[in-house]
Order: sequence, then C-alpha cells, then structure tokens
Amino acid sequence: MNGKQEQKDKKLIHPSYFTLHHYSDWLPRLVAQVPATVHTKLLAAFLAMVVLLITVGAVGLRVLSGANHRSEEAVGLHRKIAAYRQLQHDTTAQLYNVASALLAPDERMLEVTLRQLNQFGYDLDRLQFVAQDEVELLDRVQHEYAQFIQIVTRVIELLRGGKVAEGRELQLSQASPLADRLERLTNELVNKAEADMVARVEVNHEAYLTARWVVIGFAVGSIGLALILGYAISWSLIEPMKQMDMQLQQIAQGDFSHRVEVPNQDELGTLAANLNRMNEELGRLYQQLDAANRHKSQFLANMSHELRTPLNGIQGYTELIMDGIYGEVPEKIKEVMERIQQSGNRLLGLINAVLDLSKIEAGRLTLSLADYSMQGVVQNVFTAVEPLAAEKNLALNVDIQPDLPVGKGDEQRITQVLTNLVGNAIKFTEVGKVGVQVTSLNGTFVVAVSDTGIGIAEADQQKVFEEFQQADSSSTRKKGGTGLGLAIAKKIVEMHNGRIWVESHLGQGSTFRFTLPVRVEH
Amino acid sequence: MSKRVLVVEDEEDNRRIVHDLLTSVGYEVIEAVTGPEGVTAAATHVPDLILMDIQLPGLNGYEATRRIKANPALRHIPIIVVTSYALSGDDVKAFEAGCDAYISKPFSPRALLAKVREYLP
Repeated sequence: MNGKQEQKDKKLIHPSYFTLHHYSDWLPRLVAQVPATVHTKLLAAFLAMVVLLITVGAVGLRVLSGANHRSEEAVGLHRKIAAYRQLQHDTTAQLYNVASALLAPDERMLEVTLRQLNQFGYDLDRLQFVAQDEVELLDRVQHEYAQFIQIVTRVIELLRGGKVAEGRELQLSQASPLADRLERLTNELVNKAEADMVARVEVNHEAYLTARWVVIGFAVGSIGLALILGYAISWSLIEPMKQMDMQLQQIAQGDFSHRVEVPNQDELGTLAANLNRMNEELGRLYQQLDAANRHKSQFLANMSHELRTPLNGIQGYTELIMDGIYGEVPEKIKEVMERIQQSGNRLLGLINAVLDLSKIEAGRLTLSLADYSMQGVVQNVFTAVEPLAAEKNLALNVDIQPDLPVGKGDEQRITQVLTNLVGNAIKFTEVGKVGVQVTSLNGTFVVAVSDTGIGIAEADQQKVFEEFQQADSSSTRKKGGTGLGLAIAKKIVEMHNGRIWVESHLGQGSTFRFTLPVRVEH
Repeated sequence: MSKRVLVVEDEEDNRRIVHDLLTSVGYEVIEAVTGPEGVTAAATHVPDLILMDIQLPGLNGYEATRRIKANPALRHIPIIVVTSYALSGDDVKAFEAGCDAYISKPFSPRALLAKVREYLP
C-alpha cells in the first residue's frame, strides 16, 4: 500500500519536474513572467525593432555628416594652402622686382614697383579670408608689410628726388631685411598650413575608422538584440504550447495525474490554468465514475452471494425430498418438485452469471492457470450437453485434431465458455446438427461451434457479445438463458489473450469461433 | 458403530440439509456453528470426517482447518472444505491450509454424499 502510494507520488512529480528543468532558460522564462498579453509583448518587440532600425539609421547619418564636414574642411585647407603659396610667390616676385627696380631707377620701373606693392596688398586682403585662424601670424605679416610699404615709398621718393645713393642706402639697410622677414613669414604660413593638412588627413583617417566601428557595432548590436528578443518571445510561447500539447495527449490517454506548470502570465498562462482545472475536473469525474462502477460490481457480488444462500436451502431440501429422505413422495408431487428444481437451477445460473460478470468487471476474477487437456474439456462438455441434444433429436458431431498439445489455462473457465457456446447452439437449433471442431495452429487452439439454427443478422453479430443482449430479445423468454453467457465467454477468452467472434447468415446457422493461446503464462 | 461426521457450518438450513442427508444413510452427525466451536468439537469428539465451511464467524474455515491439522491427535481426520461458488484461488488456499478435498457451493446433496463416501465407505 505504502509502496503503491510512493509510486503514485513519483508519477505525480516526475513530468513537471523534468519539464521545469527543460524550461530552465531564464530569458524566455523572464519574458513569460511579464504580466502582459501576448499581443502587447509582440507589439513591444516590434516597436523595439523599429527603434533599433531608427537608431542604426541615425548613427549612420551622423557618421555620414561628420565625413562630409571633414571633406569640406579639407577643401578649405587646400584653398588656404593655395592662397599662401600665391602669397609666397607674389612676395618673392615683388621683392625681386622692387630690388631690381631700385638698382636701375627710371620712372617706368618705379611705377611697376608701386603696382606690385598694391598687388601684394590685395593678396594680403585675400589672405584675411582664408587664414582667419592664423590671426597672430597675419598681424605680424600686415605689420611688416605696412613698414615695408612705408620704407619702399620713401626709397622711391628719394630716387625720384635724385638722391639715388641715399635711396639705395635706405633700401639696403631697411627694406631688404624687411623683405627677407616677410618672405620668411609667408614661408612659415605655407609650412604651417601644410603641416595642418597632414595632421587633418591623419585625423580624418582615424575618424573614419572610429565611425566604421560605431556603425558596425550598432548594426551587430541591433541584430543580436533582435535575435535575442525573437528567441525569448518565441520560446516563451512555444515551450508552454508544447507542455500543454503533452498534457492534452496524456489526458486523451486517460492519465489525469499531471499538471502543466508554466510561468506565463499572459493568455497562455490562463490557458494552462484552465487546462489544469479541466484536468482536475475530468480526473475527479473519472474517479467518481470508477468508484461508482466498483460499487456497482461490489453490490452485485454481495447481492448474488446473499441471494444464493437461501436458494441453496431451497435446492437442497428439494433434492432431499425428491430422493425420499423424508419419506415416500407421490409421483404427482415429485413432478412438481422437479419443476421447482429446474426453476431454482435457472435462478442459480442467473445469479452465478451476474456474479461472474461483476467479478470480471471489478477485476476480481483471476485465472487459475494449470495444464489441461483440450480433448478432456471437449469430452466433459459433450457429456454434459448430450442429453439436451438428444432431447431435440439433434446430431452432435465432435471433430478434434489428433495429437493436440497440452494446454495451459483456466480449465474450469474454458469449459464454461465451451459449454455456453454449445448450449446456445442446441438452444437455437430446431433441426439439423451441432458441431464442435478443435484444431491447433502455431501455438493457438481454434475452437469452432457450428449449428444449423436460426442464424444471426449481421447487424446483431456484435451485439450478442454485450450484456443482456440476445439477437431477438423476445427469444429470452422463449428460450430461457440470462443474456450474459456470451458476454462472460468473451471476457474469459480475452483474459486468456484469445479472441471470439461469430460468422452467420440469418436462417443459415451460425459458427462461433474462439482462439486461445495453447500456453497462457499470465 | 456408525461413522461420525462433524459439520462446521453457520447457515442453519445448510446444516440441517447435510444432517438430514447423512443421518438418512446411517452416519452420525455432530454440528458446530462457528470456527472456534468446530475446532473444540473436533478435539472433543474426534470424528471420522469433517465438513468445513469457509465463511464462518469467529475463525474462518482455512484457519480452523490449519488448527485441527496442527493437532497430532487429529491430523489423520480427513477434512472436506466447502468453498463459496467457484472463487478462483479458493481451492489453492484450501489445500494450503491442509484440507484433503474441497467441494464448491452450491453443491447438490447427491454430489456431497458421493464425496463423503470417498472417505467413509
């Protein structure tokens, strides 16, 4: 009893225990536990994907605009370098021109020199646009330029005034050094711009690398996140579905001992809870039904026992009276006593059949398996029914295959089955013969009982094996019998792992066949 | 001297039927109603045969049979156990308890008499 209980408990724990372990992935579990509907979860996941896409797009755009900005900067730098170069070129040319003009002073050359100086001024103005960053350097250039202009103007004035020596003196002592300094400064500007350009190229390259990793990182991150989200949501739905499917299969097989355990707080959680409720309700009803059926069988068993006790008395006394134990019995009374006995026997048969059936249904009928001889069984049945056949002038043919193997089974029950079949055959046959044929094939006895009686319509051929069913219910009264014999026979044959069936045509007789394994071991 | 048969049976009608049947053919019949009474009567009267019902108040037929067979002075007495209608396994239990034969209820008086005569010719 204790062991059985333990086994039952184990059975109860076992499946959910396993599925819980199987369900150990924490992420789908977490998603399942979120108290939101499946609809909301799917919508949230979809929105999350959309947000991720937008983010990736935004990051891409940002990177793109950064690249654009840097290329614009590079163009600016290029312009600056070009301007510086121009300036440097102009400065060198002007200084050369001024110097040579001063060496061979005539009015035309001096005019050219002044124009050159003006040109230099334009260059400086242009420079102010492109080199806004180099304010300090530019100031110095302007400052130097202003001085240079002043000095050259004075030199030219001196030259025009004929003071050539004085002009040359001023030119050499002040203008030349200033020109050198200006040249140096413009050189410095060009170098600086070129250095800037190189640095900028370096920075641009690094910015490109960084931007590439940012975009790749965001893309990979988004894909990963989307995959994880998809995995978590789909498994939080699939796993409980699978569990519930398994549960339904078990219920369909009549096993109500399991429960579905899902962590879901969504529609699936509700579904699982309802499934469990249905399971419990079905299990309870099933148990009630089972108990009611067992009570019925128990009641029938008790009842038939109680009925039999007084009937034994009636039958016993009747036989004693008929045997003259209590004195001589007049012939007329003896005849009536015989009828009492027959009625009693029929009642006893009915009670025994009910008891048999109820015991079989309650699972309390166990087979006593032992060696038996099939010939012996047929012989006993033949002896028992021969008078009945003779009474109706029916031929009773027995055809037994020689050298039948020794059988193992419940001899008493097998005899009961064969007696019932042969008894029925005689009962429902008015003219002709009843035959019993026994063969053995591949470890199986095949027993056939055939008659030339009324036959059974095809529609009724299954029904005759059900309780209280005779093909023609009016025949119950005419022919007697309980309507239980074939139902019991079928159960006994099936308990022996055999099969029983009927072949018949209305008006052409019937053949009942049953098979029995020669050796029934359990 | 006539042979003595002890009938252990709680059902009055059954007892009377067996009594009437056996006395009519010249046996002496001693009756006991319960299991313990049956065991006591066996020791007191030392009958030639015992008919033992299974469903008895106090002590069932198997146990009563076992006790009688445990007594060396009574071991030789044949015991016929009367089982209820063909409960499979009853015959095995009856033989395990030490009985010599069994007859299942409902029995016809003629069949019972034939069985008794096997042991008491």
